[in-house]
Amino acid sequence: MTNRQRPALIASLVTWPLVLLIAFPLLWMLLTSVKPQAELFTTPPDFLPNAITFEHYRRVLEETAFLQYFRNSLVVAVSTTVLVVVVAVLGAYSLVRFAYRGRELLASLVLFTYLLPSVVLISPLYLMLVKLGLANTLASLVAAYTSFALPYALWLLRSFMAGIPEDLEAAAMVDGASRMGAFVDVVLPQALPGIISTALFSFILAWNEYLYALVLVNSDEARPLTTGVMTMLISAFNIEWSLLMAASVMMSVPLIVIFAFFQKYLTSGFGAGGVKG
Amino acid sequence: MAEAALPGARLERRDALLGLALIAPTVLVLGAVIVYPLLSAIYLSLFSLYTPTLEGHWVGLANYRAVFGSSGFWSALATTAVWTVGTLTLQVLFGLAMALLLHQNILFRSLARSLVLFPYFLSTVVAVLVWRWLFNDLYGVVNHALMAAGIIDAPVSWLGTMPNAMLSIIVVGAWKFFPFVVIAILARLQTIPEALYEAARIDGAGPVSRFFDITLPQLRDVLTIVILLRTVWDFKEFDLIYLMTGGGPVNGTRTLPLIVYQQAFGLNQMGLAAAHAVAMMLVMLVFMLAYLRRAGGRVA
Repeated sequence: MTNRQRPALIASLVTWPLVLLIAFPLLWMLLTSVKPQAELFTTPPDFLPNAITFEHYRRVLEETAFLQYFRNSLVVAVSTTVLVVVVAVLGAYSLVRFAYRGRELLASLVLFTYLLPSVVLISPLYLMLVKLGLANTLASLVAAYTSFALPYALWLLRSFMAGIPEDLEAAAMVDGASRMGAFVDVVLPQALPGIISTALFSFILAWNEYLYALVLVNSDEARPLTTGVMTMLISAFNIEWSLLMAASVMMSVPLIVIFAFFQKYLTSGFGAGGVKG
Repeated sequence: MAEAALPGARLERRDALLGLALIAPTVLVLGAVIVYPLLSAIYLSLFSLYTPTLEGHWVGLANYRAVFGSSGFWSALATTAVWTVGTLTLQVLFGLAMALLLHQNILFRSLARSLVLFPYFLSTVVAVLVWRWLFNDLYGVVNHALMAAGIIDAPVSWLGTMPNAMLSIIVVGAWKFFPFVVIAILARLQTIPEALYEAARIDGAGPVSRFFDITLPQLRDVLTIVILLRTVWDFKEFDLIYLMTGGGPVNGTRTLPLIVYQQAFGLNQMGLAAAHAVAMMLVMLVFMLAYLRRAGGRVA
């Protein structure tokens, strides 16, 4: 189609400057993190660093609790993801394939919680977790993160599983498979892209969460990266932007990895999640 | 239809039990982390409760009288409306334009898409740190660029004065969340049959009329859903605003979610905070129900 090829150059010339403008803040973060401190305060600022240094990265790793925060975030995000995916795979299958009273109500409740503001749940969750003696633990964060990750996962998986033809299971059962056997052998492999997509979304949501971490945790032992890095900003006497930018780059590494290798799962999950319904 | 292939009603009943067993973990977890907290938020809103000691007493509807009688709630509601309308408008307009551009056969299209989508998946904390550095009074790039372009004469305080602070968070919100609009619209654009455009070309329709007569009507449903969803999500946004301005200067950017947080953990009035939260939910309910009707209706 010549019509699609001819405007490509003009469209590129319009699009790319906009794309670069959008990407600029992140590029600037990267550049700031490798500039020697003195170069930050030149007027006007130099775009490219005159000298490249990894000093700030070394200082973040050696002089702050960054690695502890990183470990905490990893434990919380992975635990949340595993818990949520296991529960949601079973739950979504039940919502899609079985008939019982209250099923529609439950589906509506899931969709409703998908829209629920965290600030509404935060006080009661805080009270509940304090009573259970879980305040200031990683477990409290996993519990709290489940409140937004599970509805999201259920909704995603429900729409993925609704797309799997029922005939496949029926055929397996005619061949003598039990219902759960058919689920494991037929549905799970078919739903795998959806499960991967759900797992990635749960991980990202948990990795990026801030408000619950702010309220539920106030010690470095259990603090995840989001609140941890903000503590570095607030507690510093002088705000050291190079350090903060280096920390920002490092805390984005898992997201960059996911984004680089699994982007198609993110975009497909996206369609299934909120928009197509 | 799986049951139809199986003989006997007993098996079907066993299947129903299996269905309930599979949903049981979901019901338990949702009950513990959502239904119970939600109901107890409503219950808490009828108490005067001091956060550090968790001691309190029943006050009935006094908290709600305090909420609706205070200027704080209403001005925060107005602030939330300004933020939501402002950032949502930018997200939709820019998202739509970007989706249309990225749908073209441009050079390095998949790289361009990745770069555009990435801010959405980035942690709000990182986004805020980067933008606070960009907005820095003395050494920020934004001030330097605007001065170099001759738009401003002296450095501007982007986060410390109004209306600049509101403008700044609206821009950062648009930057962070517009990729959501792009992804949704791009996915829909790919499903519009090319034949519709061919037919329009044969009829002599130019690019502008093709956009208004074909593209926009085809996008209407997805745009409605996206706008409803983003309205709810922008309305309840806490992290970005709290971390950018903390609700300041004075209370210039203090939206409803920030008031709830301040009441509960700054002023230690957990009951009053719960009342604010419930009141906020009542306001949001209109949009929530509209979304539930559209999204829920499609699934059923």
